[in-house]
Amino acid sequence: MSQKQPTKFLGNIDRRVVSNAIEKITSRLLLIGILGFAATPIYWMVVSSLRRTGDIIREDPNLIPEYVTFTNYISMWDRIPLVDFYINSIIIASVATIISLFIGSLGAYALSRYSFRGNRFVAGIIIGTQMIPRILILLPIFLIFLSVQNIVSLPMRNTYHGMIYLLTTMTLPFSIWMMWGYMDSVPEALEEAARIDGCNRVQVLRHIVFPLIVPGLAATGLFVFLIAFNEVLFSSIFAVRDVTPFSIGIQQFQTNRTTQWGEMMAAATSAALPLLIILYTFQKQIIAGLTEGGLKS
Amino acid sequence: MEFASEKIGEVTDQFRAVGTELITDKRKFAYLLLAPPLLMMTFVHFLPVLWGIIISFMDVNSGNLSTWTQAPIVGLDNYIAVYDPSSQIGQEYYSALRQTIIFSLGTIFGSYILGIAAAILLNQDFRGKLLARIVILLPWITPLVVTFYSWRLMFVSEGGLINSMLSSVGIIDQNILWLVGDNSMWALITVMVWRNFPLVAMLVYASLQSIPQDLYEAAEIDGAGKYGKFRYITLPHIYSVSSIVVLLLTLWSLINFSAPYILFGQAPPEPVRVLMLYIYQYSFNSFEFGLGSAMSVGLFALAMAFTVVYFKKTLGEQI
Repeated sequence: MSQKQPTKFLGNIDRRVVSNAIEKITSRLLLIGILGFAATPIYWMVVSSLRRTGDIIREDPNLIPEYVTFTNYISMWDRIPLVDFYINSIIIASVATIISLFIGSLGAYALSRYSFRGNRFVAGIIIGTQMIPRILILLPIFLIFLSVQNIVSLPMRNTYHGMIYLLTTMTLPFSIWMMWGYMDSVPEALEEAARIDGCNRVQVLRHIVFPLIVPGLAATGLFVFLIAFNEVLFSSIFAVRDVTPFSIGIQQFQTNRTTQWGEMMAAATSAALPLLIILYTFQKQIIAGLTEGGLKS
Repeated sequence: MEFASEKIGEVTDQFRAVGTELITDKRKFAYLLLAPPLLMMTFVHFLPVLWGIIISFMDVNSGNLSTWTQAPIVGLDNYIAVYDPSSQIGQEYYSALRQTIIFSLGTIFGSYILGIAAAILLNQDFRGKLLARIVILLPWITPLVVTFYSWRLMFVSEGGLINSMLSSVGIIDQNILWLVGDNSMWALITVMVWRNFPLVAMLVYASLQSIPQDLYEAAEIDGAGKYGKFRYITLPHIYSVSSIVVLLLTLWSLINFSAPYILFGQAPPEPVRVLMLYIYQYSFNSFEFGLGSAMSVGLFALAMAFTVVYFKKTLGEQI
């Protein structure tokens, strides 16, 4: 018994080492496959933006371009009013994000701290808004905008404030929902201590609560900004003339017959670059924000 | 004069009193904080939804849009026209509904399974973990209005990356049409899975990390294998985050408009004409707003019904 034990033990170790190695290799290969899937379209976008027009769509595409050229990055500005699209998008999406975060986190604070009648009802409404097919409310909003223009002669279509109002409000339920989770994580004892020290409720919010939820605000803000930047349905109806955002404007690289792929990918890359830099710089905060927030329910 | 200034002083005092009361009274303060979002949402969510439902009972079209209040009330006629499977609109509607369901199921399963796989793989110790997490987040952080065009370029049938990769490893011997015809649904689902799985991966990854390691060690001592550990420890721990993620994925794909719109442009091929696209075309090309609203109300009801049933089934005990 005691003599057989060591060999059996060794045999087990051998088998385990081998099976562990196989498992390790398989899981690494799988991971590499998933990473490749995630990265390929981004890589292809960048690489295509650096190619000559004739090289972009070819029977035998090279993964690594033989000739690198920056002409697309120069000529894209002349083809369409790209600068305007960028500026419009940045104005609309960032202002909408800031307002949505501010108003939304105050609402979230109310929902998190006070259990009053209708608290659950409000929560239900907020989740309910996520089920509205936006196409259902498009025409009524169009008519409301029309009435505002007729009654108080304030144009709403094709204006910054109209788009900002729309996108702020579209993202509000999401801001409230995300921030609700962060607000719950602020210890109430801290606020009570500040109240005893003579702070009123507004001061408590400003000096105690808001500094503590900055990571949450950043993560939610990134989310909301992406939603606003990616919006196409409302923008295609309500922002067609002077305030056309990037999401709609980029379509102008395709005409009836052809698509200017090189220039389109150059414009796409330059729109994505700031966000990629943000991801690279703040990745720890972004991942923490994504995973610690209200989405966890 | 003195009287007037006294009056003004009184009024401002009153205002101030109301102001302090709003701040001191807990409940009123909460209402004060909730008022702005609810007020803003009134004109984008609450009123328009009711309004849209009303329009679905009226014959509103391009001719009478400006005087839509005088449009004839047609009762259930719009609904009968849309939901009668023997009519032409009905047939198109049900085929769009079927495409929506295929699209949603494909997106949910694909994103969820790939997301969990990515989360489990990320949860191991290896070098370059930080970089791997960044790469996984790429599809989520890059705006879809730019990446979907990149996908479109890759899906080009003659000289696109995907067909040439598939043919170079010998899976296909002639080019597949991805952006027109029956395969376009696969293209759409692939793109949506690519877009959504990072979020699933990150949320599941976070909940995997919160599982105490001693649980696995204890299970190992009790003789549990790989499958047993996954089935009885990992799965129960990611249950609650999974249920939220699946609900989000369902809603995001049921009422998704951007993905097919960007990937296929304004004239999408028949197989990817999901309900949102179909309703958009119906409302803004044919200008039959009454019919379009009746279709949207159906989609809204479907999303609501799903959510209610889903909440009862999966989260019933927790709430």
